[in-house]
Amino acid sequence: MRANVFTDKALGRYAGQFVWLSLDVEKAENAPYKKKYAADALPMFFVLDPKTEKAALRWVGGATVPQLQKILADGAAAVKGTRGKVETALARADRFYGEGAYDRAAAAYREAIAQAPPTSPRYGRSVESLLYSLYETRDYAGCAKTAADAFPRLAKTPSAANVAASGLSCALELPKEDASRAGLVESLVKDSRSVLAAPRRDIAPDDISSVYETLASEREEAKDEAGRKTILQDRARFLEAAAARAKTPDARAVYDSHRLGTYLDLGEPERAIPMLQASERDLPGDYNPSARLAVAYRAMKKYDDAIAASDRALAKAYGPRKLGILQTRSDIYKEMGNLPEARKAMQQAVELAESLPEGQRSEKSIASLKKKLDTLSQ
Amino acid sequence: MKTIRAAGLALAGALALASPSAAAREVLPWVDDYSKAVAEARAKNLPVFVEAWAPW
Repeated sequence: MRANVFTDKALGRYAGQFVWLSLDVEKAENAPYKKKYAADALPMFFVLDPKTEKAALRWVGGATVPQLQKILADGAAAVKGTRGKVETALARADRFYGEGAYDRAAAAYREAIAQAPPTSPRYGRSVESLLYSLYETRDYAGCAKTAADAFPRLAKTPSAANVAASGLSCALELPKEDASRAGLVESLVKDSRSVLAAPRRDIAPDDISSVYETLASEREEAKDEAGRKTILQDRARFLEAAAARAKTPDARAVYDSHRLGTYLDLGEPERAIPMLQASERDLPGDYNPSARLAVAYRAMKKYDDAIAASDRALAKAYGPRKLGILQTRSDIYKEMGNLPEARKAMQQAVELAESLPEGQRSEKSIASLKKKLDTLSQ
Repeated sequence: MKTIRAAGLALAGALALASPSAAAREVLPWVDDYSKAVAEARAKNLPVFVEAWAPW
């Protein structure tokens, strides 16, 4: 978003219509706002009413410029209160969604959708937010069925990829004995493949990438290793082409995370090294390339290089993200057979996790890290 | 559940970018202080657009 969407000059006309707040939730001073707005999935966007400091609208995940323009228009209208019946129902759902009250949000989105014609410009956003709410409440059957039902109406919109992939992800969560599972999976695989067969330019690349990822998961579950690898190779080609079109190092590095994940899934971590070295060189203040190099080198069993990359990452990192770097460091040392250093890194992770402020502190994470430390001490 | 929009983003780090680039600052006048942003919005009677992100 920061490299490819917020730089678009088409957004310039909105500059004076909002106050634009960038919140890095890894920073300790922003921890209270991370908690207040339930900003657990990132990136996440809100339109806040400054009088009440409540989120009038929330959007989770990436967005294209046209999608963002709709979000801005809806958000401004929600704050002003100038809206009709459908908009009022949607604003109510958005408010619950903004509070992280997903069960109430899901019910309210269903009500809003029932009032909105499928041709409404807000239909796609409403369905996407409903799917996420259903996932959060673990209503996987409702999520998959909603996606399968809505897809035909959204197939030619920017929501197509996310609806297909989210629905398929939910269908795969259903118990094997669920009678509706096979049909939903089959239908949503077909929908997902149709998105990839004719990718639209107005769909965010991360949404397309997620379609590949979900289809690969489906093939993995079906124990079709050849089919899974074919999808992953296609995903790698898609991401490599997108990175090749990037006009700046920032815009190119946007794809590093998904590309690394794809190469790891393919068992070809060495393919990530040139791109990560380039990102580390071009973005010297960013700890991500170094942290990802540590992961890639570990997968290649080049442990000395992995530790050196981990050193560089830790020197630049801050906030909860350091927990992941320290865990990877511990794993590297463990695989090297150096248990004292593995324990030391995990101990540092425990101490860091316990020191984080409310909003960033996670008791679940602390318990998990302590369990790993105990395992290393046995 | 690996890839529903935000779940996937949160777990994989996805496509959020590391640090605000100079180019990103040119089009929109971002600020990074919550209290100041809310105060400015109240003074100007404008809504606040918030991007919650992390460098991963």
